[in-house]
Amino acid sequence: MFACIFIPDFPVAAIVRAEPLLREHAVAVLDGKPPQVRVFALNDKGRLLGMEIGMTKLQASIFAAAKPERAPATKTVAKKKPAQIEFGARHTKTQPPPANAIFRQRSPVQEDSAHAALLDVAHAFTPRVEDTHPDRLLLDLGGLERLYGPATAMARQLASRVSSVGLDCNIGTAANPDAAMHAACGFSGVTVIPVGEEASRLGVLPIAVLLDSLDLAHGSEAETSTSARERNKLHEQMLDTLERWGVRDFRTLALLPEHALASRLGEAGTRLQQLSRGAGTRTLALCEPQTHFEEAMELESAVETLEPLSFLLNRLLEQLCARLEARALAVQELSLRLQLEPRVADEQTTTLQELEKAGELHDLYTRTLRLPVAMRDPKVFLKLLQLDLAAHPPGAPVCKLWLAAEPAQPRSAQRGLFLPITPEAEKLEITLARINGVVGERRAGIAKVLDTYRPDAFHMERFVSQQEDRTPGGDLTLADTASAPPVALRIFRPARRIRVQLIKGRPCKVTALDQHADRNELQGKILWSAGPWRSSGDWWAERSAPFKTNPEEAHVWDREEWDIALAADNGGGVALYRIYYETGTGHWFADASYD
Amino acid sequence: MPSPAALRAHVESALGERLSSTLLLREKIAPLTVSTGVAGLDALTGGLPRGALSEITGPASSGRTGVMLAALAGATRRDEACALVDASDNFDPASAAAAGVDLDRLLWVRCGESDRASPSNAQQRTALGRLEQVLKVTDLLLQGGGFGMVVLDLGDIPPGSVRRVPLTSWFRFRRAVEPTTTILLIVEREPCAKTCASLVVRLQRTAVCARDAASPSETEFHGWRVLSRTEPAIPHANAVSHAALLHGMQLRAEVVLSWMQRKPVQSVGTDFELRAGW
Repeated sequence: MFACIFIPDFPVAAIVRAEPLLREHAVAVLDGKPPQVRVFALNDKGRLLGMEIGMTKLQASIFAAAKPERAPATKTVAKKKPAQIEFGARHTKTQPPPANAIFRQRSPVQEDSAHAALLDVAHAFTPRVEDTHPDRLLLDLGGLERLYGPATAMARQLASRVSSVGLDCNIGTAANPDAAMHAACGFSGVTVIPVGEEASRLGVLPIAVLLDSLDLAHGSEAETSTSARERNKLHEQMLDTLERWGVRDFRTLALLPEHALASRLGEAGTRLQQLSRGAGTRTLALCEPQTHFEEAMELESAVETLEPLSFLLNRLLEQLCARLEARALAVQELSLRLQLEPRVADEQTTTLQELEKAGELHDLYTRTLRLPVAMRDPKVFLKLLQLDLAAHPPGAPVCKLWLAAEPAQPRSAQRGLFLPITPEAEKLEITLARINGVVGERRAGIAKVLDTYRPDAFHMERFVSQQEDRTPGGDLTLADTASAPPVALRIFRPARRIRVQLIKGRPCKVTALDQHADRNELQGKILWSAGPWRSSGDWWAERSAPFKTNPEEAHVWDREEWDIALAADNGGGVALYRIYYETGTGHWFADASYD
Repeated sequence: MPSPAALRAHVESALGERLSSTLLLREKIAPLTVSTGVAGLDALTGGLPRGALSEITGPASSGRTGVMLAALAGATRRDEACALVDASDNFDPASAAAAGVDLDRLLWVRCGESDRASPSNAQQRTALGRLEQVLKVTDLLLQGGGFGMVVLDLGDIPPGSVRRVPLTSWFRFRRAVEPTTTILLIVEREPCAKTCASLVVRLQRTAVCARDAASPSETEFHGWRVLSRTEPAIPHANAVSHAALLHGMQLRAEVVLSWMQRKPVQSVGTDFELRAGW
């Protein structure tokens, strides 16, 4: 048993997938360079307005603005104009035509994304998938009955999964791949053809469906080498020939004498007749499941603010997560690439052409979110991206965006009931991103003490919720507690400048020099002192700096430390401080207080 | 004139069907408590209550940070995730490691100075004062949930500034932690959360024990007890400098407010000692 997934009007479907609100409108996809911009694809509502593929934009816009009369109840384009059959239009039900059509430029990146999503759904269903054409896939359903049920249930489930990635599809199942493909292309919805009924069920289909599949059967190379226009010309010639013979559907073609047909149309004629009888069989050319997950969107007009960009990101994230969910994967790393609007050229120095030649015309702005644990919640990703873009705005309007995900196996956490509480990974990421927005980058995390004698040597790392399945220790009892907790230091960052008066080489009075709010606490008479303790180091480091700028970097230090008890002038009592004399600069600093 | 008991019985019988606990005081359930990490303080206070706001107050060099680190060490030893909102960026990781804090389980949020490396948000952060940052970050942490202990270190913020924090903020924090098992601990100079706190402990330094090479005999000087010099400690990496100076501090803790007894009728206190961790 084989199944075919067919997306009618694929270029339109790819755009509607990115902009779901267009589903209710007549949409015409334009392609070509001005002035040869023509309608490349249409949806059903566009056809109801009277637009046709191949029209220029001007011609199409005449139909787009007009309000045609109500369409007849069973009107089908196929009956009215058999020579210009479009698959999606034949089975149009009664529906009031929309007032206005919406034009969109063809977007190859969105078509690629839609096709990739289709492949993900298919590979999640069965590993035996043929990537027949961007708008259709063939699946081998052999052996899946025990997993999904009978063919009808399989086809419905397949349709449901394709719908979950934002695409409307036709599904056809049959005993051979070509018959399944003709069923999917010719009938809307889900079509299940029982074994042996191929000829009778496919007999009502128009011959154009067959000609289209004939091109695919000849192979993709032929399709890539011949232009679309030549292919259409070939179609029209074949269609004209068969029409002159009075052959308009599969059934008529199947009844023609084989030898006579072969003598007139050659090998193609024999192949066509075989296909029309639903008797052809072939082996699927299987494709590998993809490991790269990327969604892209081209914008008609550039987005300048974060709010509309968030809506677009939300759509991309939902599509991306739906694809990953279909493959039972999660995201470990999320990369956002934004193509910014061209810069305005400086008239005096450069021109737009020079900028374009230098590759500076279109800026690419990239942000990467590395997640500590694999996740698959689009709301979490959206919030993280919003916070990240708010902290690091692109600086120019966005005209194109890509969102790529590095897949990973999802977490399989089954935590115990009595384990200590820890923050949820998703919530924690958002909380940390928000905190970073308040206090700044790299100012919230885990402190790692460095293995050095250098004072206040540490570096910050990302905080990760540690969910280990360890037996909980329970609340501490009195026996576990320390009878005497440790003395701690409170570091002043940066160290505060002070002036120190010495008597017989020992500090006796301190005066604060900086404008700190607590300067009065750091000046007064020294009641007691101990020192000096001399220490130095990192003079061998290549990247040494005379002053401490970053505690993570090695820097030369050479100082004499004193511990003092200071009676503050403001009457705040006696406090313990650590002060030091920096031999390199000859300055005194207050480094920390004991508490 | 009916007696009050009869009147009460009448009202209860009239409203009993509609209200289940008419005129009855709701029984206050004692909160779960955990150790502060200091045996003397545990005996005095009964421990830090979960789902409540506790305050440790005292002037500079009164052992507030030592008690805070002891509480954090206990929480991380229980495998709980902890957060330290450091208003003045004073936290010393080396001291914390020496106190037994598992730094991998401690989220350290350094408020205050804006980051030089990423000036994009510097303007916004400058507009936010340190205290405003602390309150925002605390809000975020409590809303996110999942932390066993959240500590606000306001030890170097002038009391006048802390007093300007509206009471509604502390009330909001208390309401946020009430349905959880999170301990919200504030380290500061003077109590600020007022009735929103379930436990307020005031610390005072009574004496400092030190070793001084210049004074080989034990002396008393301005409340300082200087001990004779013993063998020098061996300095090692990650150890706090001046390992040979401080032997410890003697402290007195006094309960100002406790969930066990809202208004202590008399000063209740205990003495304990901080020792050098090196």
